[in-house]
Amino acid sequence: MAKPFHELRERLLRAGVAPRHVRRYLTELADHLTDLIAEEERAGRSQADAEAEALARLGGMDDLAKAMIERRQFQSWCVRAPWAAFGLAPLFVLVGAYVIACFYLWCGWRIFLPGADTPFGSPTGQIYGFFGFATIYFQIGKLYYYSAPILVGWGIGLVAARQRLKMVWPLAGLFLIACMGATAQIHASRTAVRGGLGHISMDFFTLGFFAQEFFTSLLHAVAIVLFAALPYLFWRLQKTYSLSV
Amino acid sequence: MTVRETNPSFMNGVPELLILRLLQHEEMYGYEIVQAIHSLTDTVISVGEGVVYPVLHALEREGALKSRRKTVNGRSRIYYAVTPAGLHRFADLSATWTNLAAVIQKMLTGGQYGEAIP
Repeated sequence: MAKPFHELRERLLRAGVAPRHVRRYLTELADHLTDLIAEEERAGRSQADAEAEALARLGGMDDLAKAMIERRQFQSWCVRAPWAAFGLAPLFVLVGAYVIACFYLWCGWRIFLPGADTPFGSPTGQIYGFFGFATIYFQIGKLYYYSAPILVGWGIGLVAARQRLKMVWPLAGLFLIACMGATAQIHASRTAVRGGLGHISMDFFTLGFFAQEFFTSLLHAVAIVLFAALPYLFWRLQKTYSLSV
Repeated sequence: MTVRETNPSFMNGVPELLILRLLQHEEMYGYEIVQAIHSLTDTVISVGEGVVYPVLHALEREGALKSRRKTVNGRSRIYYAVTPAGLHRFADLSATWTNLAAVIQKMLTGGQYGEAIP
């Protein structure tokens, strides 16, 4: 991307213009600039003069940025309502991910453990002596369940990075996700509903009464924040480093 | 050719009006629109050419224009065309501007309020 457009892109994103509008604007500006340069060259100017004249005709950086920034309809939701984008939306996405996890668990329960009271295996931790595909099935489910908050956190980081946002809102979102993920508990019971269909429920934001449970949740939350924030923090460091050199 | 840009204070609503008028009969892409405005207004109306795009995008979001990508002579461009809602919008804007222009003309050339302002 040409330097003036690179600067314009950073300026628009920092001002809160949604990335898709910025991308389209810059694409059309680049096309327009190509047409202007061709026109100036046809008029007999050298390439350098044609480029300079074309850039002048296209408009100053301030005008080009202002024309886009002052139209509120191009503002990203991350800027218009950060509390919704980084507070509510990730929570709903995580709830959706957990609903899928519960359904996956329920299907495994019905298929591989039709007679068991819970899908979590025997008290000794064995999955009722099942090996092979059943074990792989439940381990995939477990991996998905534990990685869901981290994936949602990566999503938060990606959105924040694309919009060049300051760290406050993304970190608030990560904190919420970590709290929800660390305090999530799954309950399963075959006798809770008639017909032995099996009932799975979840609750969130409940802390255990015992110190050990509390510290386990706390450690889990810290682990989620660290893993989820890592790519975003790495991106910020890289950005800071590339600006300073 | 470098032209002096038109005072932005007088431009509120003008680009929308001109764009809707130009696109009434044929679809055009951004560069064509700007060249047509320059040509038809004898460069009396002149703004930084790039600022036409936020106007086009806003009109499209409001449903007054529709766009499609078309490849012509190996170049992929976004062409804009006016929609029925855009035609209504043009009729409203046009009526407003015609009335406004008539009143201002009357003020400048005299009438019931007395002498024209020199």
